[in-house]
Amino acid sequence: MTAVVVSSVTKIFNQGRTDEVAALSDVDLEVRDGEFVSLIGPSGCGKSTLLRLIADLIEPSTGTVTVAGQGAAKARKEQAYGIAFQQAGLFEWRTVLRNVELPLELRGLSKRERKARAEQMLALVGLEDFAGHYPAQLSGGMQQRVAIARALAVQPPLLLMDEPFGALDEMTRERLQSELLGICAKTNTSTVFVTHSISEAVFLSDRVVVMSARPGRITASIEIDLPSRDDAGRQSPAYFDKITEVRQALRGTPASAPSPRSSESAAAGTDAR
Amino acid sequence: MKWARAVLPPVIVGVLAIVAWELTVSLGRIAPFILPAPSAIWNELVEQRQNVWEAALASGENALIGLVAGAALGVLVAMAASRFKPLTEVSIPFAAVLNALPIIALAPILNNMFESTSSIPRRLVTAIIVFFPVFVNTLRGLREVNPIHQELMHTYAADGWTFARKVRLPGALPYVFTGLRQASSLAVIAAVVAEYFGGLQTGLGSRITSAAAFTAYPRAWAFVVGACLLGLVFYLTTLLLERLAMPWRTRLIA
Repeated sequence: MTAVVVSSVTKIFNQGRTDEVAALSDVDLEVRDGEFVSLIGPSGCGKSTLLRLIADLIEPSTGTVTVAGQGAAKARKEQAYGIAFQQAGLFEWRTVLRNVELPLELRGLSKRERKARAEQMLALVGLEDFAGHYPAQLSGGMQQRVAIARALAVQPPLLLMDEPFGALDEMTRERLQSELLGICAKTNTSTVFVTHSISEAVFLSDRVVVMSARPGRITASIEIDLPSRDDAGRQSPAYFDKITEVRQALRGTPASAPSPRSSESAAAGTDAR
Repeated sequence: MKWARAVLPPVIVGVLAIVAWELTVSLGRIAPFILPAPSAIWNELVEQRQNVWEAALASGENALIGLVAGAALGVLVAMAASRFKPLTEVSIPFAAVLNALPIIALAPILNNMFESTSSIPRRLVTAIIVFFPVFVNTLRGLREVNPIHQELMHTYAADGWTFARKVRLPGALPYVFTGLRQASSLAVIAAVVAEYFGGLQTGLGSRITSAAAFTAYPRAWAFVVGACLLGLVFYLTTLLLERLAMPWRTRLIA
C-alpha cells in the first residue's frame, strides 16, 4: 500500500477575493511505504501547504489526498500520522513524560500502557532521564526531540515534519538528523519532511521533491541513493553529486527533462550565481 | 544568605519608618486624634486583640465567601464567553460597565433589599468587585492559545471540551492567578468598607467607624491594622495556591 497519494491537488487561499493566492497548482505526489521524502523549495512554494493538506489541517480546493489508503480527514481522526513543527510546541504545564503521553491519552489508552509507551519513546530519543522535567528546563534541541517522541508515540505509519530542525544549531541538527534516520529505520515509518536545507534533504531522503513558487508546483523528483547514511555518507561523492543536482533543480536548470520555460529559468539561474 | 538579603531591606525600612513615625508624633506633639503614635496603636491592638480577632474572622468569612463566589463566576463566565465568540463581544462592554460602577455605593441599596441581620449584602458587594479582575484576566488567558497547540490538538482529533480541559484551561492558569491576586486584596477591602454603609455590624469596618465615632482613634487604627493583616493573609494564601497550582513555574525559579 502507498503511504500518501496526492492527486491533482490545487489549493487556492481566499478564493474569489481580491487577495486570492494560488498556493498549489495541480500537484501529484506519491510516498511509498517506508519511504523518506523531503519537500524542498523557496519560501512561498507551498511545501508547508502541501504538508498541511496531507495532515488535513487544511482542505484542497480541488483534487484528493489519500493517507494509508483512506481520505485525509479519516486518517487524521484515526491518528494515522504523527506531526512535528519547527517549534516544538510542547505543553509547558506538562512534564516531558506527560507531553509524550498526551496523544495516547486522547486515544484512550490506560494510564499504565501510555506511561510504558511514552517511556519507550523517550528512550528512543535518548531523553529517558528527563521524563520528570518541564519543557522550559530543556534546551531547544532536547525540546525538539521530545516533540519527535510525541509524534511517534502512537506509532503512526506516517511521520509529517515541517522544518523540525530549522531553529537548531548546526551540530544539534546533524545529530538529530542521524537519530531521526535511525528511528525511521527501526520503526519502518514513512516520512514527509519539509525543509529548505539542501544538504539536510539529500542526507535524510530516499527522494527529494523540488518545488517552485507562484504557483506552487513540483518541478523535479530526485531519487537519492547514498552508500551509507552516516558521517562517511556525508563525505561521499554521491552525496555531493546529489546536492548539486538538487541545487540545479531548485535554480531551474535541470540536466534532464527541460521544461518549456527552460531558457527563461536558465537565465534566472545564471543570475542567481 | 540569599534569603536574608531578600527579607532584610524591607524589614529595616519598615522598622525605621515606624521609629520615625513614633518620634514625629511624640517630639512634634501631634494630637492623637490627628495621628496616634504607633506605640499607642500597638497597646490598643494588644488590649483589643480578642475583638480584633473576632471582627477579622467575621470580615474574613465575608471576604472569603465573596471571593470564592465572584472568582468562580468570573472563571465560568470567561469560559462561556471564550467558547462562543458573540458572547465575548457582548460580555466585554458589559463587564466594563460593571467595573465602572461604584460597587461599594451599592452597599446601602443592597442593605435595604435584605434583612438587617443578613450577611448577604456584604458578600454580594465583595463578589461583584472580585468578578471583574478574574473575568477579564481569565478571558484573556483563554483566548491566547498557542497556534501550534491548536493544530496539534486538531491532529489528535480532540473535541472542543477536551481541548478546553487539556489546553485552554491550564494555559490560562497564569492569567487566572493574576486576576486572583488582584481580587484577593480587593475582596478584603470590599468586605470591610461595605460595613461602613450599615447592615450587620460584626466586622472590622463597623468597628473602625464606631471607634472613630467615639474619638477612640488609636482603637480605630488598631482595627485598620487588623484589616491590613487580613488583606495580607488573603494575598499570601493566593500566592501559595498559585505556586501549588503551577508547579512548572515554581520549579523554574528554584
